[in-house]
Amino acid sequence: MHESLLKQWSSDGVQQENVQSLDKESEVEEAAPFNVPFYTECSEAAQAELINQCEGQFAQLEMLQNQIIFAEPDPDESTQELSVNRLTAVAAELKQWQTMQPELLSPNSEVLLAVGAEELQKLNSQLELVFSCSQAKRDKLRESLKREQKWLEEKKEVFRAATEHVANQRLENERLSENRVLRDTKKKIQKMKDYQDRLMETLADILEEHFPLPTMETSVNKKKKNIPQDLNQDLLSLNEILELLMNKTLDTPHDPYVRIDETFWPPYTEMLLRYGIALRHPEDCFKIRLEAFY
Amino acid sequence: MSLLKPFSKLPELNTANILLVENEEQFQQILAETIVLLKKNVNVNVRLARSLPLPIENEKFRPRIDLVVFIINLTSELSYQSAEVSLKFLDPDYFLGKVCFLVTNARNASVPPERLISVRKLVASLHCPLLFAEDQMTDGVNTAAHRLLAILKVTSGHVPMATGLYLSSLTRCTVPSDIDQQNFD
Repeated sequence: MHESLLKQWSSDGVQQENVQSLDKESEVEEAAPFNVPFYTECSEAAQAELINQCEGQFAQLEMLQNQIIFAEPDPDESTQELSVNRLTAVAAELKQWQTMQPELLSPNSEVLLAVGAEELQKLNSQLELVFSCSQAKRDKLRESLKREQKWLEEKKEVFRAATEHVANQRLENERLSENRVLRDTKKKIQKMKDYQDRLMETLADILEEHFPLPTMETSVNKKKKNIPQDLNQDLLSLNEILELLMNKTLDTPHDPYVRIDETFWPPYTEMLLRYGIALRHPEDCFKIRLEAFY
Repeated sequence: MSLLKPFSKLPELNTANILLVENEEQFQQILAETIVLLKKNVNVNVRLARSLPLPIENEKFRPRIDLVVFIINLTSELSYQSAEVSLKFLDPDYFLGKVCFLVTNARNASVPPERLISVRKLVASLHCPLLFAEDQMTDGVNTAAHRLLAILKVTSGHVPMATGLYLSSLTRCTVPSDIDQQNFD
């Protein structure tokens, strides 16, 4: 339907100092069929009336145009400020709007009917367009809502899984830390035990080497051999004495004293007392205890 | 100096004439073809020019121009200067609603921001509407064509109860105050 005709022409240098292309003025023209369907529905009388009306208006237009052309150009107008010019024009337009009386498009009811019908059709098509547009938009929104809900569900699931994971991790962590403390303590205990064992062994070695029982000395005191031999039978070694003292201190801390009897070889007892390893009971001189080293 | 006057000729029946002024002639051509192909109920003549003034010997054949559009490509300084020079060849009556400006390439990163500001100031000083157009895509060109056609219909008197002056008073470009402040700084 739309037939476009592209016409171009360039002028031959009105201002010859200018480059030709600068002066070019081209025209794109379109001869579109101007459709006025409602004319056919009107009666001939109505058409004639309309045409008369149009002719009258065109005559008025021509008259006004002539008035504009022949009006004396205001010499001040060109120098006038643009905004002042605009203000005058707007004021004039406002005045015109105020004085204008609303009038009927045409006194002929047939024409009015046709125009009204056309307007309604136009409105109808526009509203249909709006309707389809809004429907499409609604569908799109619905779809996006669905998508968003799905997305929300997924996120919720992820959140749940993550929370669970965190809880698991925390539990695991706690268990691990308890275990570790336990293991550390065990290790320390083991270490302490080892250390104690080593100490004990060393002590035993020293005692065995340097503090033998009096039975071992056979060369001296042959005369009194009978007497010490009697004693020797159930004498305690220094090792045993210390053990006894230590066990007593640990087992009954409220009463760490050990009674001295004939199984204690006096020189050993004396040595322990002299070097401050053992203490005598302040009231009972037959009782001794281990010095409080701790 | 031949001024282009808005009221020097008798309007034709069911016809609207638009004049596109662009120094570079690229976007102009595409836009003209798009406007011609648009569906409409008036005959639209699109006239193209690189700059004003228009040559005198076409004066006789030239219809009354209802809307003058200055297309300014923001990436080129020359485009702006050319439009500025061309403005002097328009009758002051045109600025009562029959001129509008169309800026292209405003989103281009290489455009210095001062150029847009200066364009806005120019347009604001003339109380004209300022349109922005995307010239790379057909959608953008279509939108620009629709907008221009809507303005053209008003300025050529095809819309009852509306005039170009009325429309341009509502749609004219204003310069934001913060730009003013920046310039004062």
